[in-house]
Amino acid sequence: MLKSLDPRVNRLNIPLEEAAHAQKNKLDQFETYEVFVQTKEDKPFEHVGIVHAPNEEMAFLFAKEQYTRRGMFCISLCVIKTENIRVSDYSENQKDIYDTFEGKYSGKTTYSFEVFHLIKRGKQHKYEGNVQAKNFEDALLAARDTYPRNKPVLNVWVVKSEDIFVSDEEDQDLWDTLQEKKYRDAIDYRAADKIKAFKEKQHEH
Amino acid sequence: MYGGGNVFERMKATALVDEDPRKLAEFEARIERGEKIEPKDWMPQLYRKQLIRMIEQHAHSEIIGALPEGTWITRAPGFKRKLALMAKVQDEVGHAQLLYAAAETLGKSREKMIDDLITGKSKYSNIFNYPAFTWADSCFISWLVDAGAIVNQLANAKGSYGPYCRALERICAEESFHLKYGHHCVIHMATGSKKQREMMQAAINRWWPPMMHFFGPSDTISVHSEILMKWKVKMASNDACRQQFLDMYVPKIWELGLTIPDKNLQKNNETGQWEYTEPDWDEFKRVINGDGPCNKERLAVRRTAEERGRWVREALLAPKTKYITPLA
Ligand SMILES: [Fe+2]
Ligand SMILES: [Fe+2]
Ligand SMILES: [Fe+2]
Repeated sequence: MLKSLDPRVNRLNIPLEEAAHAQKNKLDQFETYEVFVQTKEDKPFEHVGIVHAPNEEMAFLFAKEQYTRRGMFCISLCVIKTENIRVSDYSENQKDIYDTFEGKYSGKTTYSFEVFHLIKRGKQHKYEGNVQAKNFEDALLAARDTYPRNKPVLNVWVVKSEDIFVSDEEDQDLWDTLQEKKYRDAIDYRAADKIKAFKEKQHEH
Repeated sequence: MYGGGNVFERMKATALVDEDPRKLAEFEARIERGEKIEPKDWMPQLYRKQLIRMIEQHAHSEIIGALPEGTWITRAPGFKRKLALMAKVQDEVGHAQLLYAAAETLGKSREKMIDDLITGKSKYSNIFNYPAFTWADSCFISWLVDAGAIVNQLANAKGSYGPYCRALERICAEESFHLKYGHHCVIHMATGSKKQREMMQAAINRWWPPMMHFFGPSDTISVHSEILMKWKVKMASNDACRQQFLDMYVPKIWELGLTIPDKNLQKNNETGQWEYTEPDWDEFKRVINGDGPCNKERLAVRRTAEERGRWVREALLAPKTKYITPLA
């Protein structure tokens, strides 16, 4: 058995051969979901990253753990399976990506889509709004005709509204976890007094 | 948590001959202007490869780094320390997830990265191949190893690859708690009983050599490091990081009446540089290549966790299995 200083490791009873043997079975990777967080009532949802999960509900739970650990920065959370997001090209140097789209918006309202914009490299996609269209390409054209563009848009994400899994209005208390968790904040670890007292005592001797 | 001194791929002089010179020039101009590179942008193969390697090593370091500290959660002195250490270790594992996600945008799956960790193909920060004998070792790690990691992470957060920078911003926000918590622990030990002081001093004596290794050997001036700097993959030399760490933390160790086991350690007031005994780089190489006190254990624990957690992943992958209420 593998012997360790760590009693928990010893309790695992890992045979030495197993420790030496180094093969893992085939890939069993979960799909990825893109995660968006809303930090304040008047702020849009913003992309924060991804999680791996077997389904939407688990993705939501993982996202809550991963991206809202310090709860005060979240009032709402949503997850979207990566494959359900249609990504436009990226535009070059200050050009607006919408200007590269050709064609005319159909005006049809077959599906509802949500639109996210990236304004600057290095930043993350932000929620822009909802459009009705017959398909993804059409939704991009609808967005082009709908949103004012004071700043050039670098990249657009479009997703069907039905493919978004979002936290419930009523579940607001999901995010109020901080009060009894002060120990996770730097501010809870002031120690200047202790150092000062220690130095003074050293001086006396 | 994270160790610098990344092991980068050895680079051939011909590494860039296959790249389209016009695209390469545009790419370099973008970095020059201070713009970030995003996943869908064109990038040289070498940039992709080196970044994957660096971010992946960083992610593995967070996961493996949780092991020596995790050892002490159940034996941490008092409820509050247990809570705090548990939160810190959770943070570190979360950092690994953020970093794996950033590396994945470059085209290597998380699964493959975890495979490469547990088969020993990928490296992680060498310092975690040393054991945490006492609670004081855990205090040392929380304060000073994290401090070293923060020096690296703050530098890298200014790099050129968007997803990595964003992950690091999130990570650095949490590290401030780690640093304060760790310092608090060490202060408590150093200003405590004689026995506590002795324990703390012994831990510093044990951890100082690996701490000096932490930032990696001096960078040699080579085409290699030049191009990584130019592409803002590597943001500061190993020596510059080590100097910054010494400058910030040696005085803080000394003010607690603790000593550092290196007779030659002093700041040269003329050059502003710290002088120290050259770390034993042979030992560093030996340990990073597998022959350290805990290498085997670290990988075995990871592999066991992976294998024994398999049934959970399989169960989750079968959502169609319907639950039916028992009949009688
Ligand atoms: Fe750490
Ligand atoms: Fe970390
Ligand atoms: Fe940390």
